[in-house]
Amino acid sequence: MATETQESTAAPEAKPAGLPQFDFQWWPGQIAWFLIMFLVVLVFVRLFAAPRVGGAIDAREGKISGDIADARRLKDEAEAQAAAAAAETAQARAAAQRLAGDARAKAQAEVAAKLAQEEAKLAEKAGVAEARIAQSRDAAMTHVAGIAAEAAGAIVGKLTGRAATPAELTAARGS
Amino acid sequence: MNPVASVVDFHTSAKLIGAGLAAMGMIGAGVGLGVLFGSYLQAAIRNPAGASSQQTMLFLGMALTETMGLFAFVVSLLILFGS
Amino acid sequence: MANQPAIDPMHQFLIHKIVELPTFHVGKLAFDMSITNSVASMIAGAAILILFFILTARREIVPNRGQALAESLYNIIDRVLVGPIIGPEGKPYVPYIFALFLVILVLNLMSVVLAIFNVGGLELTFAVTSQLAVTATLAVLTFFSVFILGFVKHGPKFVTLFAPSGMPWPMLFFMVPIEMISYFVRPVTLAMRLFGNMLGGHVVMSLFGSFVVALGIVALSGGLATLAFIPSALSFTMIVALTGLELVVAILQAFVFAALATVYLNEVVNFGHGH
Repeated sequence: MATETQESTAAPEAKPAGLPQFDFQWWPGQIAWFLIMFLVVLVFVRLFAAPRVGGAIDAREGKISGDIADARRLKDEAEAQAAAAAAETAQARAAAQRLAGDARAKAQAEVAAKLAQEEAKLAEKAGVAEARIAQSRDAAMTHVAGIAAEAAGAIVGKLTGRAATPAELTAARGS
Repeated sequence: MNPVASVVDFHTSAKLIGAGLAAMGMIGAGVGLGVLFGSYLQAAIRNPAGASSQQTMLFLGMALTETMGLFAFVVSLLILFGS
Repeated sequence: MANQPAIDPMHQFLIHKIVELPTFHVGKLAFDMSITNSVASMIAGAAILILFFILTARREIVPNRGQALAESLYNIIDRVLVGPIIGPEGKPYVPYIFALFLVILVLNLMSVVLAIFNVGGLELTFAVTSQLAVTATLAVLTFFSVFILGFVKHGPKFVTLFAPSGMPWPMLFFMVPIEMISYFVRPVTLAMRLFGNMLGGHVVMSLFGSFVVALGIVALSGGLATLAFIPSALSFTMIVALTGLELVVAILQAFVFAALATVYLNEVVNFGHGH
């Protein structure tokens, strides 16, 4: 037993026994240096890295949402403008249609008036012509009686050998 | 021949056996990790939409489970390499 | 194993002095302020962090790669941890958790990534987070600053944290000690988790690295021993795989430490209406 304890106490000189992590000789120095290093990193991250990186992320998100809001607003504006333009077009079309209708009505009225005038003129001409025709027909009719009497006289004369009197001829035509 | 040498040999062999026995504590951690990831996978296949939201919890559970095995591992190393 | 000096996975955790500096005595404690390999790695880690943020913390709307990396690191703390766990009241604490996360992350990653170059006696980096002194400092610092913040914010009322509400009063005699133990064991688990993860990963990597060399030397003796090249190559493949795993563990442990700090902080910030 004595030799064994001697061995285990002699061992650290030759080669450190146990896990090197449990060699407490190095603990205070390591802890002190680690605290210093951690503090430096903490201050650096707190004052520089985190605000910088977090700020960049926030700025990007703000920009993206701002851009989306801008785009949405512009789209709404464009839609409103398109609606206004459509309304204007409709109005203009209605005005044009009304104008065209007016023009058409006016033209129709003019045409109708001219037509009526022409018809009146024609009717007048036709009336004059009819009157002349009637006149000439009447005239012709009176001539027909004379001619018929003459012809009848001639026929009677030829048949009877004697000339019929005009009174007899008139009486015969009347019957 | 030398009784002291045989005592030292016994010491070393007992140490090695002890280290091996201590390392068996890691069996439990292994089973635990298998159960953990198996259950996670089962749940994730049933409901894939909710899987990614529980990943942080998965790794936390893994860390807590694994610690038990690591205790056994460290104790084993302490026995093996300790004086 | 002990009779073979080539395989000594604990050698990588040995501390030795690089620059001799004076020792301060505070009471009985002797603070040896010498720059050791551990301290040098800490300073290098802090320098890397500060340099990284000075170079990448720009205020551009369209980020370049460095800025995107810095912002995604910040988002892990801000949007993944503090936002969902604490809520908007946690905003002022983001820089502290961010600093905690960054320190652990950079020291973990340095010890895994730069360890690849630690060949042939060259010591470029040292696994600072596998030193119990460092992880215990971090854990105690985190735990007690949160604990003290609770008393500052809520006064003596904060001790009702240990008394679960809605319980018959005789039960409190059992519950309060249990709650107190489970509360004050937190710094221990915090420290042991980080320490154990980094220690374990580095020990296993170092073991496989020793296998590569030891089996390679055996194989070089010629004859039938040449077959030892096969397990040597297999060990090398294992190192590559383990390095990948250790990278994940390094990032995950930093995340987990920050997440647990956030959860502990949440109990203080949302005290009284959280449960």
